[in-house]
Amino acid sequence: MNSIGTIPKFSQVDAEASQDETPFLEVRGIHKRFGGVHALRGIDLCIHPGQIYHLMGENGCGKSTLIKIISGAQPADEGEILISGEKVSGLDPLGALRNGIETVYQDLSLLPNLTVTENIALSEQLVGADGKLSRGLDLGKLKETATRALKSVNLPTDARFCSTEVSRLPIATRQLIAIARAIASDAKLVIMDEPTAALTKREVDNLIEIVDQLRSRGVAVLFVTHKLDEVMSIGGHFIIMRDGEKVQEGDVAGHQKSDLSYWMTGRKIDVVRYRSTEIGEKDLLVVDGLKRRNAFADVSFSLAHGEIIGVTGLLDSGRNELARALAGVEPADGGSVVLDGKTIHLRRPVDAIKEQIGYVPEDRLSEGLFLTKPIQSNIIAQILDDLRDKMGMVSKLRSKKMAERLVKDLQIVIANLNDPVQSLSGGNQQRVLIGRGLTIVPKVFVLHGPTVGVDVGSKDTIFRIIQKLASQGMGVIIVSDDLPELLQNCDRILVMRRGRVVETFEAENLEENTLYQAMVAENPTGKRS
Amino acid sequence: MSDFTIDSINGEKSDSQISRIASWMIRYPPIFTLLLIVVVCVVIGTISPEFWQISNIFDIARASVVTGLFGLGFLVILAAGGIDMSFAAIAGLMMYWITTAVAAYMPWLPMPVIILMAALGGMIIGVGNGLLVHYLKAPALIVTIGTQYVIHGFLLTFIGTELFVNIPLSMENFGKAELMRVGTQSGSIAILPAYVLVLVVAALVTWWILNRTLMGRAIFAVGGSAGIAERLGYDHRKVQVFVFAYAGLLAGIAGVIHVASNRLANPFDLSGNELNVIAAVVLGGARITGGGGTVIGAMLGVVLITLVDNVLILAGIPSTWQTFVIGCFIILAGALFANSSNR
Repeated sequence: MNSIGTIPKFSQVDAEASQDETPFLEVRGIHKRFGGVHALRGIDLCIHPGQIYHLMGENGCGKSTLIKIISGAQPADEGEILISGEKVSGLDPLGALRNGIETVYQDLSLLPNLTVTENIALSEQLVGADGKLSRGLDLGKLKETATRALKSVNLPTDARFCSTEVSRLPIATRQLIAIARAIASDAKLVIMDEPTAALTKREVDNLIEIVDQLRSRGVAVLFVTHKLDEVMSIGGHFIIMRDGEKVQEGDVAGHQKSDLSYWMTGRKIDVVRYRSTEIGEKDLLVVDGLKRRNAFADVSFSLAHGEIIGVTGLLDSGRNELARALAGVEPADGGSVVLDGKTIHLRRPVDAIKEQIGYVPEDRLSEGLFLTKPIQSNIIAQILDDLRDKMGMVSKLRSKKMAERLVKDLQIVIANLNDPVQSLSGGNQQRVLIGRGLTIVPKVFVLHGPTVGVDVGSKDTIFRIIQKLASQGMGVIIVSDDLPELLQNCDRILVMRRGRVVETFEAENLEENTLYQAMVAENPTGKRS
Repeated sequence: MSDFTIDSINGEKSDSQISRIASWMIRYPPIFTLLLIVVVCVVIGTISPEFWQISNIFDIARASVVTGLFGLGFLVILAAGGIDMSFAAIAGLMMYWITTAVAAYMPWLPMPVIILMAALGGMIIGVGNGLLVHYLKAPALIVTIGTQYVIHGFLLTFIGTELFVNIPLSMENFGKAELMRVGTQSGSIAILPAYVLVLVVAALVTWWILNRTLMGRAIFAVGGSAGIAERLGYDHRKVQVFVFAYAGLLAGIAGVIHVASNRLANPFDLSGNELNVIAAVVLGGARITGGGGTVIGAMLGVVLITLVDNVLILAGIPSTWQTFVIGCFIILAGALFANSSNR
């Protein structure tokens, strides 16, 4: 099967004979570096047919990199991959598919304008034709494959559904279609990257049923997840990664949830707490019953002068949408926001800027920075009106002064104010964004993932800046899934689940584990609340 | 109470009768085009009963051929997420080269061979377009405006704006060949020329490519999301070169058909036709952002545009209002189809 570059290793087969069977997939000593970052540090892994695995770990622990290597999307720097006991070199996406390794990525990789049938079954014909596009379509086979795959994921197989464009379907259905595509061909291992992030409890149960069927057919399933409840209810093996290393693996049965979450987060026993300032008495910002359809509902909290609150939750918890609503990017459609005793309406980003609510977006590359424009232009982008001179032109002198002051205050390391902002490191880019937010002299500063993709040293600087701002009386809201970051910086932490604030913790002396449990817990009703 | 709606499997909500009809049209855009055609026919037919004549239908069919060939090529490029502004120029160049060369050196050449030569020539220029778009990674709009100007400049330099004086006999005969001849009440004779069959064949072939080959599905895949298509193993370069080559091929054929049907022709006749063709394809429900569109829709769009171009005059509407009406249709279609994709 493994046509090119495979050398049978007989010694290996002998060694495995002592086990009950040869693993379908084995990786040994995998290393991967990105520039200076050592993302994977010698990972060993065995996947046996008909077994279920949960690859667990916090963001940035290297689990995504590992599955990319297994599915052929990225090459490893060191180490070897064996499929059915034979060494495979130069694994690419097509090679992985031919060997029966199917990956369902988080973005699902569905073609939005093609039909359900085509999305599921076209790949099979493309692989069959070896990528030659001049081949005719085998419509009969297309339909047959799609019907079989749809049945196995409990989706309808009627003509109307099959001919629907995927973009018209809800996300949960798309998730199932992506899974159907993965198992349409002869899959031996199906990797699912956080498959339940967008699913309701009922849909998750359906997925678990499908996984059970797969397993009984001898297909191995590897989940990439951090939902502990699901891991506990599905069972199988767990593999826990931290900082690019495998720290623990074993049977789910016989372990507690708290064990797993301890291993995932374990190292942070003594976190430096940056927080020191006194909080003001008066409420600066009062949010009451804020909601946005299909995103979050009933969100109420208050923020005092000089206070820092954190908002966290899983990807589908509504935390991101809440941050964007406070910035007027995706406005709320109900509830009230009172700033300094005055009710304000945040319908567009401009409204937030006028009301002096600063916002640092999560994705600085696509939502925040004008990458090819100079640092100075990026800093002053929100206050062009204020920098105009009598002629209506943006004053060069005042712009420069403003940019210079912020670069100094925020310790941004630059060569020249006119260099494009993309020439800076991630941490410095982030500080440019914070600087821009500060130009409007915010009363409330909403920081959305303030240290995503930022190195440790820069993190420290950014944390100190945040604390300094709070000590000057600014109210700060940090929306993040980086729990240590929240524990180190906040006074209070709001935990969101399924669009609602379910718990509020005092951050002082809070265990990361406790916070984590609250984040991933299932709602007792088993429904979307 | 819950603020979340539990999504149904299909995710479609039927509210009222009207929105159901609207959603049906969004699912099958050509219905909308057909509806507009019927409305135009009924309105004009009511104002001026002489509209209901076989000769009018034949006229529209005849006038649709060149626009239709362009439209098919444009549809295929649009489906792959590209855009083309050079088809009329390619047609002009092929028209000029093939007609003058055949007339001067090989006047005995039969028409099928002439069509084949024009197709081949157009295809070669199309391949050039495709390779430029792929390797320059420049927007297709810019690249093809560039090739349009290059070809126009070339034609202006070498021939100016003269009409062809002599065209090969086989071309002339091909243009005169009749498919159907019907006598009318008024005693005149309506003739359906045989060259409309070229459009019929081209439409069938295009439909077959788009719906029955892997290439067809790859075209839509790339038009839907080039990044995902590539990750799934579709060859982006092959698709891009193919769609431009195919559109060039059709443009070449359109060029010689234009000469054969008009006899008095000039390479610049078809220039300025670009927006009309784009309008036709978009009115047929193709997405201007790529990844959508059907052959039947594009053909209906072409018929609609031709209809408005040719028969408004019958209803006593000055020809200056033609573009106004087409503009209104486009805005209507744009509003309907754009709203559908936002949902």
